[in-house]
Amino acid sequence: MNINKLLIWSSAVLVGSFSIYSLIGHGDEVDYSSQVKPILNRSCIKCHGGVKKQGGFSVLFREDALGKTKSGKSAIIPGDPEHSEFITRLTHKDLEERMPYQAEPLSKDEIELLTKWVKQGAKWGEHWAFTAPEMPNIPNKNFFASFTDWFSPKWEKNNIDYFVADKLVKENLKHSQPADKGTLLRRVCLDLTGLPPTEQQLTDFLHDKSENAYGKAVEKLLASPQYGERWAGMWLDLARYSDTKGYERDDQRSIWKYRDYVIDAFNQNMPYNQFIKEQLAGDLLPHPTDNQLIATGFHRNSMTNDEGGTDNEEFRTAAVLDRTNTTWEVLQGTTFACIQCHSHPYDPFRHEDYYKYMAFFNNTRDEDSYGDYPHLRLFQKEDSAKVMSIKNWIQKNSSVSKANEYAKFLKTWQPTYNSLSCDEFVKSELSDTKFLGMQNGGSSRLKNVDLNGKNQMIFRYNSSKVGGTFTIHIDKIDGEILLTTKLDTTKGYQSKQVFFKSVNGIHNLYFKAINPNLKGKEDYTAYFDWFGFLSKFPAKNNPEHDLMQKEFWRLANISTDITLIMDENPQNLHRKSNVFERGNWTAKTKEVQPDIPTLFGGLPKILPKNRLGLATWIGSEQNPLTARVAVNRFWEQLFGIGLVETMEDFGTQGFTPSNPELLDYLSIKFMKEYNWQPKQLLREIVLSATYQQDSKVTPEMLETDPVNRFFARGARVRLSAEQVRDQALLVSGILSHKMHGKSVMPYQPTGIWGAPYSGISWKQSEGEDQFRRALYTYWRRSSPYPSMMTFDGTSREICLARRLRTNTPLQALTSLNDPVYVECARYFAKRMDNEKMDINGQIRKAYSLAMSKEISNDKLLILNNLYQKSLIDFKQKPNEAMKFLGYCEDNSIKPKKMPDLAAKTMVAMTILNLDEFVMKE
Amino acid sequence: MKIHQEAHKHFVEYETRRHFLKQCTTGIGMMAMGSFLESCGINNVSADALAKAQNPLSPKNPPFLGKAKSVIYIHTAGAPSQLEMFDYKPELQKMDGLPCPASFLEGKKFAFIRGVPNMLGAQAKFSQVGKSGAWLSDNLPHLQTVADEISFLKAMHTDQFNHAPAQLLMHTGSPRLGRPAMGSWVTYGLGSENQNLPGYVVLASGGRNPDAGKSAWGSGFLPSVYQGVQCRSEGDPVLYLTDPDGMSRDLRKSSIEAINKINQKQYEEFHDPETIARISQYEMAFKMQTSVPEVMDIKNEPKYIHEMYGTELGKESFANNCLLARKLVENGVRFVQLFDWGWDAHGTGEGDSVKVGVKRKCMETDQATTALLIDLKQRGLLDETLIVWGGEFGRTPMQENREGRVLAYKGRDHHTDAFTIWMAGGGIKKGYSHGETDPIGYAGISGRTSTYDLQATILHTLGFDHEKFTYPFQGRNFRLTDVQGKVINAVLG
Repeated sequence: MNINKLLIWSSAVLVGSFSIYSLIGHGDEVDYSSQVKPILNRSCIKCHGGVKKQGGFSVLFREDALGKTKSGKSAIIPGDPEHSEFITRLTHKDLEERMPYQAEPLSKDEIELLTKWVKQGAKWGEHWAFTAPEMPNIPNKNFFASFTDWFSPKWEKNNIDYFVADKLVKENLKHSQPADKGTLLRRVCLDLTGLPPTEQQLTDFLHDKSENAYGKAVEKLLASPQYGERWAGMWLDLARYSDTKGYERDDQRSIWKYRDYVIDAFNQNMPYNQFIKEQLAGDLLPHPTDNQLIATGFHRNSMTNDEGGTDNEEFRTAAVLDRTNTTWEVLQGTTFACIQCHSHPYDPFRHEDYYKYMAFFNNTRDEDSYGDYPHLRLFQKEDSAKVMSIKNWIQKNSSVSKANEYAKFLKTWQPTYNSLSCDEFVKSELSDTKFLGMQNGGSSRLKNVDLNGKNQMIFRYNSSKVGGTFTIHIDKIDGEILLTTKLDTTKGYQSKQVFFKSVNGIHNLYFKAINPNLKGKEDYTAYFDWFGFLSKFPAKNNPEHDLMQKEFWRLANISTDITLIMDENPQNLHRKSNVFERGNWTAKTKEVQPDIPTLFGGLPKILPKNRLGLATWIGSEQNPLTARVAVNRFWEQLFGIGLVETMEDFGTQGFTPSNPELLDYLSIKFMKEYNWQPKQLLREIVLSATYQQDSKVTPEMLETDPVNRFFARGARVRLSAEQVRDQALLVSGILSHKMHGKSVMPYQPTGIWGAPYSGISWKQSEGEDQFRRALYTYWRRSSPYPSMMTFDGTSREICLARRLRTNTPLQALTSLNDPVYVECARYFAKRMDNEKMDINGQIRKAYSLAMSKEISNDKLLILNNLYQKSLIDFKQKPNEAMKFLGYCEDNSIKPKKMPDLAAKTMVAMTILNLDEFVMKE
Repeated sequence: MKIHQEAHKHFVEYETRRHFLKQCTTGIGMMAMGSFLESCGINNVSADALAKAQNPLSPKNPPFLGKAKSVIYIHTAGAPSQLEMFDYKPELQKMDGLPCPASFLEGKKFAFIRGVPNMLGAQAKFSQVGKSGAWLSDNLPHLQTVADEISFLKAMHTDQFNHAPAQLLMHTGSPRLGRPAMGSWVTYGLGSENQNLPGYVVLASGGRNPDAGKSAWGSGFLPSVYQGVQCRSEGDPVLYLTDPDGMSRDLRKSSIEAINKINQKQYEEFHDPETIARISQYEMAFKMQTSVPEVMDIKNEPKYIHEMYGTELGKESFANNCLLARKLVENGVRFVQLFDWGWDAHGTGEGDSVKVGVKRKCMETDQATTALLIDLKQRGLLDETLIVWGGEFGRTPMQENREGRVLAYKGRDHHTDAFTIWMAGGGIKKGYSHGETDPIGYAGISGRTSTYDLQATILHTLGFDHEKFTYPFQGRNFRLTDVQGKVINAVLG
């Protein structure tokens, strides 16, 4: 043992004795959070909480609980239980008066406890999850223990195990044996990369007899690109990532670049707090990179509504509410949605807290527009360089701010005004509630346009009618004319550039359209998408001016791939935020400023009161929830159950942690030592003895700990929908390892998509794109990929923090009959057949490829019997064998060989359906 | 052939099958639940109990005795015009073509009406029918003959005037996506009577799914096992039901037996109850492969039944779906959701005018809807099957003037303040009309019924108190009716 270790351990002893001292120091003071709050939550808060306050009495906040009730008196008088009605009513003789009302009375012990609590001053305490974690001492890891370790080999491999072992003793459980090597490798491969080991990985591992063989395997997995794909799969659920908009016609949306960002962030081991900051507020970072803009797609994954007649502001508001709820659900593990309508029924959040928080998200440019603006335009390499060169040229010949203005416009078409924000329609309207349409002589208004320093308008419109003119008046319908321009006919939507004489200030603009050629009086001369205003293109006299301006215009108009991003409103478009009465967005009351809930003491002064400030606070050590929620989620992904089982609710109604010290230990380590980097955290977990245990269950274990809350055994849980597919593809040898890019459309039966008015259709991908990992499958909200849904995927309309696992006959039908799985079985059979062995050898091989371990003789016999029976059957019906193999592309199979291959396919299919195959063991 | 002859034929078939199951131990019958596990050495009683406890769809009793055991909900997606079907308004007729009084427009928002539209009288003739004297238009000649079985809710209202949100509100209690549908709630609460069929089946006609998409039958935050299973009229009725080409039933059986035998070995080693559940799910899957196509096949129904419904074999049709709905509830399916698309009637063309479009949709559906009522009644199933019929909102008494223009055909805009829904069967009063709209049919003046009230009433007929039937999610107890809804006692039989 070296000196360092000794030092750490002796200080651990010191810390340990300190906490024992502090425990004694408090004597037998009643603890609010662990002793009183559970009783209040169970028996009182339903009628005296954040929603109902019977008799004017509520026990949610201390000030309310001690305040005057309807009777004019206080129900709780600290120090005086005899005169506190809160206590006396518990034993009242009149049943109408006795509390809890019309329910079982509290037990004698409980009444005693509450009496004592009031006597001691009715002190409030904070729920554990809302106070910062503290580094606990590591149980039983002390000098004495380390001394005995020299004599007997210890089970514990790292600190996690000391916490687990301590809990196991208290729960009267014993840890399990280590899992066998193959099973362990399969487990850790699935957990870290979402894929089972390849044949090579397995052989390497089994042959590596060094002490650190497992550790080496773990390092390789953490470094593999598949690692990022696996964890992106988890994150995309939380981000409610989807390739479509959501409502009604549920049309296409281009945001796949965000998926690439998530994959890369995990692979680069980006610190989790940086990951949060970029996703919530990448656009507000100084000089954001394209990737940081792409990251803001996180909250652009909320749904938009294209249905004709829908109110864009209603669905913009719905998206903002969704962002607020998702932020809490994903990052804070706290149910915030319920205080949209009233104060939290159980947790100390007030109604107003919700709207202050929502105010952070209420000032972005997106407005439920049909174009899903704003976008980041993804230029090809060459054009991207040209954008940079224009930016640099402007910077050199003018100013940094002008360079930024032009570069931003090229990259995002922002800031622009969506035509859907127009009003005062006369012979014009928001056609299909999407685009401003104008008739001959029609007019409309666009409010609050910033014309400071501007001399040109760029607008996007669509016209099929010859002879239209468009005029803009300033401030009044007949005010001074800003500009007049011809509305040339277009091919679909196109942009046009018009110059005008500078007019400073913020103005309301009045649009007028004239087109005497229109025959029907209700015809529209044009439809408008958006209007943008730019300052003068600089350096008129520079010889390169014309060329640069031409190049700017070309780049502004070329069609590019896009991805949805966040962009903050400029000052002139700032939206006020209000409390909604009972959650109703049309009933706006008090105006509020952005802030975090009062419980957390308000946003620290040094932080800006915007999304960036919020994101910084969320990712800081001052936030008591972020690290715990993250650690818990990673833990759950590996063990199938979190240290806090209700991952989505760390509040007082959620489950208390099964091992609070372990949760806090890992959280603090994650923040301080690991600098929020997930790979380090995952490494520590998978290297623990706890993780490496066998997953067999004894009846005793099932009795004491049916769901494995205390981790006396390894995890045995069904694979996720993504893993079920990826594993089948890998084992049968057809998985494509191609990474990144647009979503793909693997085989899907016809007639699955049936949304009305929608122009998109399922076109099966070709080549290797049919066999990509599940996370690349096109995700349509109104109609997600069927087998994903059958295996408990979510439709990603809103964020669901936890997938519940079910076990249904539809899952069996999918892995038995879905042509994707049938095809896997055929390829898997060919893979078996390629082995130069007898049938038993081939079955052995196939089983080992699938399960990473040797088959037992009895299982081998069952599969061999199935092979023999199938062979006889297919030999009698060779045509059936041919049909059965029909999907195989390759025609090289000789007819004579077919019954044999078909029988092997039966065996392969059986293996792909085994319980042990769809389970992680 | 009439109903008793049919019953006799079924009895004979039933006896034959029972004989087959008893005698042919090598047949499919051997795979009945429990028996296989027993043969594997697991104690039969406990295995059966275990499998049941593991099965989230096992039948469960409601908190109180409901009159209805199953539900057929016919959603006419697009919102049918109550003014051309149920809500007789002679005053409106008199105002036909006059500008709409300002009082009806102030502070109101419509999906497409702009400025001042004109009033539009009914584009159909009405008469009083049956003993109850219900007013029905001549668009519904068949329904006129069974009006005495029905309770009409004539003063329905909603707060969503767009299709997708309004459909979601109707089926999930929220206009936003992400909540469980009514059928999910019901199967969550009651399980299903027939484990060889999905407990919650969805059938769509009219060439499209409803605007709200699959979310209208999604399970939201309830486990996904409670989501509706859409049975299709082309291809496999349930996805992946058919064995791969070239595989015989016998081989399928052998493969499932091999899977289950190996899983059995796995169970002996790991003792994970999940493995037992998986064994029974594979058995159930095998049985579904025969039972679902059987129940979804209407070919073998007698001719008089086909004539009664007006079915069209081999096509996707509303009539076929009505007949299927009857077969499904007869076989113990808990909740059958029918969607018929195409009821929107804006008047942007002849096909969606209230004169031609509504009439056409009525012709497509009136006979089959009526047949469903009669057929359930003659089988003694109507008393325990709740039928609900209706759209997601109503239509305006004004003629639509989209984008301020006068349209070439007569149509009506979306309307939230008044529409008609009807209910019949399990637990519902016969020959009754609840609620009334004002003389021009703009809004309810008595017996106003919200979508939540309707949901509360549906749950009541099944034996649930809608306020107590909850599921904890995101820190609160969610319920279908959110924080609203009152049971409409007047329509309970």
